Amino acid sequence: MRPHRPAAPYLMMAPTALLLGVFFFYPVVYAAYRSLYEWDLLTEPRYVGLGNYAHLIRSGELGHALMTTLSFSLVVVTGAMSLGLLLAVALNRPGKFAAFVRGAVFSAYVISWVSVALLWLWVLDADAGVLTASLRALGLPTANWLGDPDVALYTLSAVTIWKIAGYAMVLFLAGLQDVPLVLHEAAALDGASALHRFWHVTWPLLRPTTAFVGTTSLILSFQVFDVVRVMTQGGPVQATTVFVYAIYEQVFLNLRVGRASAQVVIFFFVLLVLTLVQLWLWRRKGAA
Amino acid sequence: MSPAAHPRPLGPGQRRGVGSRAFVTLTLAIVSLLWLLPYAWMVLTSFKTLPEIVTAPAAPLPAGLEWGAYAAVFDAMPVGRYFWNTTVMALGIAAIQIAVALPAAYALAKLDFKGRTLAFGLVVATLLIPAQVRFVPVFATLAEVRLVNTMAALVLPFGVSAFGTFLLRQALLSVPDSLIEAARMDGASEWRIVYGLLPPLLGPTLASFFLFSFVYHWNDYFWPLVMTTDDSVRTLPLGIALLREQGTGVRWHIVMAGNVLLSAPALLVFALAQRHLLRAVTSRAA
Amino acid sequence: MKPSGARSVSRRHFLQGAAALCGAACRRQDEAAGRTVASLWFTYGGRNRQVLERLVARFNTSQSSYFVRAVYQGDYFEGLAKLRTAVAARSGPSFSHVVGEVVPYLFEAQVLEPLDDYPGAGELGILHALGQAGSFLGGSRRPLVALPFNRSTPIAYLNGQIFEQARLAAPTSWDTLREVARRLTVRRGGRVVRHGFGCPIDWWFWVALVGQAGGRIVDAAGRVTLGGDAAVQALELWQDLVQREGSMKPPPGRDYNAWEQTNQDFLAGRTAMIWTSTAFLKYLEENAPFPVVAAPLPKHVERAVPTGGTHWIVLRQAPEHEKRAAWAFLRFMHEPEQVIEWATETGYLPVTEAAIARLERDGYFARHPNAKVALDQLAVAMPWPWSTELFRIQREIVQPRLESAVLSGANAARLIEQARALIEGQSG
Repeated sequence: MRPHRPAAPYLMMAPTALLLGVFFFYPVVYAAYRSLYEWDLLTEPRYVGLGNYAHLIRSGELGHALMTTLSFSLVVVTGAMSLGLLLAVALNRPGKFAAFVRGAVFSAYVISWVSVALLWLWVLDADAGVLTASLRALGLPTANWLGDPDVALYTLSAVTIWKIAGYAMVLFLAGLQDVPLVLHEAAALDGASALHRFWHVTWPLLRPTTAFVGTTSLILSFQVFDVVRVMTQGGPVQATTVFVYAIYEQVFLNLRVGRASAQVVIFFFVLLVLTLVQLWLWRRKGAA
Repeated sequence: MSPAAHPRPLGPGQRRGVGSRAFVTLTLAIVSLLWLLPYAWMVLTSFKTLPEIVTAPAAPLPAGLEWGAYAAVFDAMPVGRYFWNTTVMALGIAAIQIAVALPAAYALAKLDFKGRTLAFGLVVATLLIPAQVRFVPVFATLAEVRLVNTMAALVLPFGVSAFGTFLLRQALLSVPDSLIEAARMDGASEWRIVYGLLPPLLGPTLASFFLFSFVYHWNDYFWPLVMTTDDSVRTLPLGIALLREQGTGVRWHIVMAGNVLLSAPALLVFALAQRHLLRAVTSRAA
Repeated sequence: MKPSGARSVSRRHFLQGAAALCGAACRRQDEAAGRTVASLWFTYGGRNRQVLERLVARFNTSQSSYFVRAVYQGDYFEGLAKLRTAVAARSGPSFSHVVGEVVPYLFEAQVLEPLDDYPGAGELGILHALGQAGSFLGGSRRPLVALPFNRSTPIAYLNGQIFEQARLAAPTSWDTLREVARRLTVRRGGRVVRHGFGCPIDWWFWVALVGQAGGRIVDAAGRVTLGGDAAVQALELWQDLVQREGSMKPPPGRDYNAWEQTNQDFLAGRTAMIWTSTAFLKYLEENAPFPVVAAPLPKHVERAVPTGGTHWIVLRQAPEHEKRAAWAFLRFMHEPEQVIEWATETGYLPVTEAAIARLERDGYFARHPNAKVALDQLAVAMPWPWSTELFRIQREIVQPRLESAVLSGANAARLIEQARALIEGQSG
């Protein structure tokens, strides 16, 4: 439609443009600028060129943060997707009970990360937590869930999966609903078993949903911060120092705003790559 | 219709025998326990006393219904103030997001203007710039203009929601042009149309988005952690997280009581408005 | 004209919040009416927090010109982070307390208010070893910016029952430490059910070990060199005890998680002997189901301990009237009654001569020999260097390497060398 007055659309976009400019685009530029300096917020900034980037690479900090985040993400994405799909298939049925279970699973997604983190911090406490106590009572082996450097990251992954499985489940449910009943009926008439039907009818049609769930979980897992901060503070021995936590520490504990800005720039590019992958996969959705 | 609330009835070939149904029920029961037991444990712990926590932390039931832990939470921090701050912040964000997204979505969906595709592209592009990327420069900038630790620092950076703009634009695309043209002929100004005519038409979408945004920002820990320093605008998630006082024995019953207080509002909204929240979540996939 | 469903939910929240706020706001107004208010950010939790809040309340009720509003900010590290960013954002408190390692940095960054000219600054009667002059090399050459608050040294805590049964005494050398730890470690079915020794893998205790091995973190010229060979020996002692002997429990977690875990292990009888701050003396004594015996740290080449805890600092950027109120509170806190209450209720050291004299007169130390241990150790306390890089070195360079060395058995000498190289690189 043609606007009432030629200026109208621009005025309508103005608040959005202003806020985006100030709080989204300018910060990216500013971060790139600051990344060339060393600054502790209290004294004058000092120009260091690419020194921050060099240090991040040389000291292994960047590599470590990337590896930790990637390992974490891998476990979270596969776990959340598998669990979400399983739950969606199992709970794709009418009735109050199924609705109740769906609600219970999704509720974890609705409460705050802090709630989830504190809750599991208590359950997983190596000495007083109920998980350890239960396992001991059953004679099963226990571990120091949050204090063992080899285990801690997986523990955090499990907690994250617990929180977001409901989200994956809901998206898969929506995807499952989109599979036309007719196709199921046709396959059943052809004598196909439930598993066969799933694999050959449902799964291909679920692919766009799967791609969407996969990439959103991936990006979500890359942005994780709260569980790390509340449960392990990046430890033990930096086993759980994921990217965002590393940036946070750099600013607030080390007071190195320049170096943190460099990390932010790198993180932005990492997310860019991930999102482009998402967009590319998303575009294929229309083809179905 | 929200899929998770109203799934289809069983299709052909999906009838099961009694044994298989019992198995499925059992599996579902275990699943719901996996998600409900932690909450139950949280609540049960909040009714214990310190001696119980120290001597028998894994005891299933508290000795009695002790409210001491809750009282201790109120003693340890100004819960009311934190609650207020959090609610004001979340309300402010959701309200501003809608107020800003409505005209933008209208322009992007309904009005032809030069640069429309670019504008839409830029809005969507901001999904590439999450809070975890913006926080360092925004913090440094706000620090220089002395706006750190203010409600503005908590609300304004979230004034635009790309997701919300996208959602509203999507919904507006299916609103027939004729409705708007009719309103124009009645003499309505564009702003009248945006804030008067469209909201009722977009009711469910607006409700979903408002609730989703409200809950999301109510629960936010990261941004308030970065942007606040003292407890004047501190939000509830931060306050409750501070209950883990280290060194002389974590008082878990108090931490859990705080956690109950923290989780309750989100769970309440969820219980009352599940449909709306689910719609907001699944519409992204649509 | 928003849909009514959304409105009614938000209206409910609004009313709830409004009601809660009125309650909170009304109370707040009454307390500070008409007085000069100073804001204090503190970083204690648990028991020590209660003692501090009690003292703040006593100050507020004992006079009517000033009012101190105390805000809890998390643990030392979190609180320090908030303080520094708040100062940078010019939204900081009137005063606070910080660990010694960060005082020189804050001073050089012009964040701290010099206190020499405040009324009565010279007559506080502070114990030399605990004040700025004694805690820092060259501390007396700088303006007074830090007053001792909760000061401590690391000490050893022994499970009295276990030691008596085993007829062992507190170890006085590294060799006897190894011996005792080995003897008191109990294994059952291949698993260690009780460790002989426990200690947070923390910079502070490592500095103690370095001192005991004859090294000093800073050399004669004032450069931070980490103590040469002594640094490696210190780290290797821990590695020995944890990895080879299995007699020392490596506590998990970072920062204060590790300290918390050490305390809990001790109280639960899972560790027979621990090193931790004298600050936990009262807490441990009250919560242990066995007699707690405090002992000084052992010697290797010599006896040495660092001091710890925090110092009061006043922020330069605070308005004048707030600084005056803060100063009034600080004088109050240095009066013998308050010093004694703080020290005896927590386990931190009494910081003024007058307080110590009074405690001796009252026979307090005779009744509580544990409390004297840390005080006596002050005779071998090592001052900190006045170095602006110290806290960065601690946090970024040394601490991660300590953890990594002990928990994963990496080569100690190489790690220390790495650390030294990084420090040299930084001072360029």
